[in-house]
Amino acid sequence: MSVRIVTALVAKDLSLFFRNKFFGLITILGIVAYIVIYFVMPSSVNETLQIGLYAEVVPPAFQQVAEEGIVFETFESEDALIEAVTEGQYAAGVALPPDILDLLASGEKPQITIYSAADTPEEVTDAVEIIIRELAYLQAGQPLAVDISVEVLGPDMLGQQIPIRDRMRPLLAVFLVMFEMIGLASLITEEVQQGTGRALLVTPMRVRDLFAAKGVVGVGLAFVPAALFMAIVGGLSSQPLIILTALLLGSVLVTGFAFLIASLSRDMMSALGWGMIIVIIFIIPAFGILFPSTVSAWAKVIPSYYLADTVHQASAFSAGWGDVWLNLLILVGFDVAVIWAGIIALRRKFR
Amino acid sequence: MSRDAIVAQNLTYQYGSLLAVDHITFSVAEGEILGFLGPNGAGKTTTVKMLTGQLKPKSGHAVLLGLDIVRNTKKVQGKIGVCFEDSNLYEQMSAVENLQLFARLFGVRSFNPYPLLRRVGLTGREKDRVETYSKGMKQRLMVARALVNRPRILFLDEPTEGLDPTSAKSIRNLILKVRERGATILLTTHDMMEADELSDRVAFIDHGKIVALDTPHNLKQQYGRRALKVTTSNPSGELEDHEVVMDTPQTPNAIHELFSKEDVVTVHSEEATLGDIFIKLTGRGLIGPKPATGRPAKRRSGR
Repeated sequence: MSVRIVTALVAKDLSLFFRNKFFGLITILGIVAYIVIYFVMPSSVNETLQIGLYAEVVPPAFQQVAEEGIVFETFESEDALIEAVTEGQYAAGVALPPDILDLLASGEKPQITIYSAADTPEEVTDAVEIIIRELAYLQAGQPLAVDISVEVLGPDMLGQQIPIRDRMRPLLAVFLVMFEMIGLASLITEEVQQGTGRALLVTPMRVRDLFAAKGVVGVGLAFVPAALFMAIVGGLSSQPLIILTALLLGSVLVTGFAFLIASLSRDMMSALGWGMIIVIIFIIPAFGILFPSTVSAWAKVIPSYYLADTVHQASAFSAGWGDVWLNLLILVGFDVAVIWAGIIALRRKFR
Repeated sequence: MSRDAIVAQNLTYQYGSLLAVDHITFSVAEGEILGFLGPNGAGKTTTVKMLTGQLKPKSGHAVLLGLDIVRNTKKVQGKIGVCFEDSNLYEQMSAVENLQLFARLFGVRSFNPYPLLRRVGLTGREKDRVETYSKGMKQRLMVARALVNRPRILFLDEPTEGLDPTSAKSIRNLILKVRERGATILLTTHDMMEADELSDRVAFIDHGKIVALDTPHNLKQQYGRRALKVTTSNPSGELEDHEVVMDTPQTPNAIHELFSKEDVVTVHSEEATLGDIFIKLTGRGLIGPKPATGRPAKRRSGR
């Protein structure tokens, strides 16, 4: 392999990439837009559940619960409470009967109404109902005859929940890595379509020089924007080496897929079409991080899962090499397989 | 005696069941221009692809500058220049950038693209993107690109196809200048005039075989027919055309008779063209894959 030739080809490809207004603009705008999105998103998580309350007499138990992450905001009338809940100002509203204390003391069941807006998740309504029952027990002096202990599985994030923007970091980084796959595939497709590849092949350049150059360009175009993004949004403040390694392996992966896409494409539009299909599939695991429990275990068959999960584990939970080594190993396996398949498939076009 | 720059021995290539090149053998001396003539699908481009290392022959071998092309593909490619028929330049790059890229690939040290661009008449547009060039300008840049490494063998595939006469002439002049400095040139063309004007020898290729290979003069001598075209005027003023075939025992008498008995208006000598000879040898013309039914499309009207 000739370093001189590979360097010349890399310089040429980068020059052509950024002269293509579409890809050049999308790359730069992509980084800027994702950084803006990150900083616009809330930087903290509000862990307090705010509940509207209408009661002529507020039972003492209801006044004490604020310390436990539940805040009752009192209203002058039941109508005002209903209006506030309807407008979405509160997750739910509770209306207590005027004689609640007497009824609780006499052991009778008071009628308590919980108001919730139409779009309030069922889990929230259920949680509020449980809170009210607990408070009623407390007020009646008959606590539940059980001791409840809470076991936190994994890092205890109580009081330090991951803000939505930090959950989005892996998604945005993975998106930046993935998008460059389409750019590289288009670049290669154009090389074949315009016949410039044929002109290169009658020079001292070897096919392996060509693939090396395309590989360097592909990995560079995918890795640099993603690493830059992570650095700017503070994603490298924890376990930077692991995150950069994962992004690098992810960049190799998308380069292999770019080779495969280019081998299937006849022009830029078909490269875009194939590329978008793969990008959509590859983004799924990253959405699983943003919205936990929305993605099933089958997402693990998608290679990008191991990239997104590693970046998330390392940046959000400071996971070490011991925690992510298997992810990285699987990613290396995918890299080798996909690059090999991509080169085999694409070689046909340069013969 | 000059050495052979290109030696092809029994070169054969097959696309599936189609025999594109059928055991062709020829050689080109250093500094010689060989015109490679044949209709579409005759096997010209496939032969050039084998000679330039783009295709591996199914059998036979080719030696360029003393090196076997299959065993030393990259070494040979470093010493040759190839100008393709279809434009395959980097359209988003300028002429200067295109040439600089190829100079780097060939390892040309301290390459200055401007003199080369001046020679192909692209001065003033060197830094414009190639996508803004006309077809003629692109073709001239393709030739310039093929010259970046000062090749010892230059392969030109239809270098003037579809160009205006001025552009075509400038490219022909350039080809002659390249030959002047000692380069060997293999010129693939449909254009009989071009082949006649530029080539030291021409090879007629048809159905993958070389059917004739010699200098244009010898081919005309061997296969052609010289004639005089005489136009006379009869007493009523009408013009009549006569043809006197040269080089026969009856020729002097026929000429004498015409000049003594007729009112001769014009006399033109007529020589067989390479196109005529090609038709004579193959039964078909040079344009298109089907046998020609009329006269060749490009032929000389006489000298």
